[in-house]
Amino acid sequence: MDRALTKEQFEEHLEPVLDTAYRVALRLARNPEDAADLVQEAVIAAFKGKHTFQPGTYFKAWFLRILTNAYYRSRAKKEVRSDDVPIEDVQEIYLFRQSRDQGIHAETTDPAGTIVDRLTAEGLASALDQLPEEYRVATTLYLMDNLSYQEIADALEVPIGTVRSRIHRGRNLLQKALWSVLSESDRAALGGAP
Amino acid sequence: MSLPERFDCAETFQRLNDYLDRELSAEEIGLVEEHLAVCAMCAGEFHFEERLLLKLKLKAQESTMPDDVKTRVLQALYQAKEE
Repeated sequence: MDRALTKEQFEEHLEPVLDTAYRVALRLARNPEDAADLVQEAVIAAFKGKHTFQPGTYFKAWFLRILTNAYYRSRAKKEVRSDDVPIEDVQEIYLFRQSRDQGIHAETTDPAGTIVDRLTAEGLASALDQLPEEYRVATTLYLMDNLSYQEIADALEVPIGTVRSRIHRGRNLLQKALWSVLSESDRAALGGAP
Repeated sequence: MSLPERFDCAETFQRLNDYLDRELSAEEIGLVEEHLAVCAMCAGEFHFEERLLLKLKLKAQESTMPDDVKTRVLQALYQAKEE
């Protein structure tokens, strides 16, 4: 019996994941035009390959795998960036320490929320863009939806232990990048400086 | 792997990321939370990280696919369906 999705079923599965797919594509491609191209390419590839999707499994993870593979193919044709956060300089709970030392914890009962509220969406995007690729991809998938480690591992086709390691390190790197994105005046204002 | 009766700060801290991602066993969660109940320093760090991740996810998930992009993508899908 043919259990492949029908065209209608494919579209029903696809529509709810488009927002996530676009958010992920935007962080991978780093610009809206390339992100739109990437999503479109992935949608067509997924439709043509819908017979490979097993009903009852995670459509979102399956589709994100197609999307990330399309990204890696396109990336192979482009220049590799080298202005990433150095990965040897990673400190646990970086933002906690920095914000405490800046005096932010004395000014509010929610220092983490206060810091993030100060960030724009562009600031978060800019911070993510600083991460080396393997951490950026895993951390992007982690932040842009509520996927489990297993779903992210399925999307990236890597072992779950690798996902766990990349997300943990990616989050540490992201914290350092976020602090650098906040302007000096933002940090001073958060810390209650005049 | 057998677990101690109680976690100290180091044992609790090394489980921070897995705790935040709900990737610990029920037993380990219990031990972490038992330690957090009596250690203000660890509790402060955990609460900050938990709050940070929640706020970052909310901010990251604010944006949606623009309507013109959705139209373009679905149009391409309809053309592919016709082939």
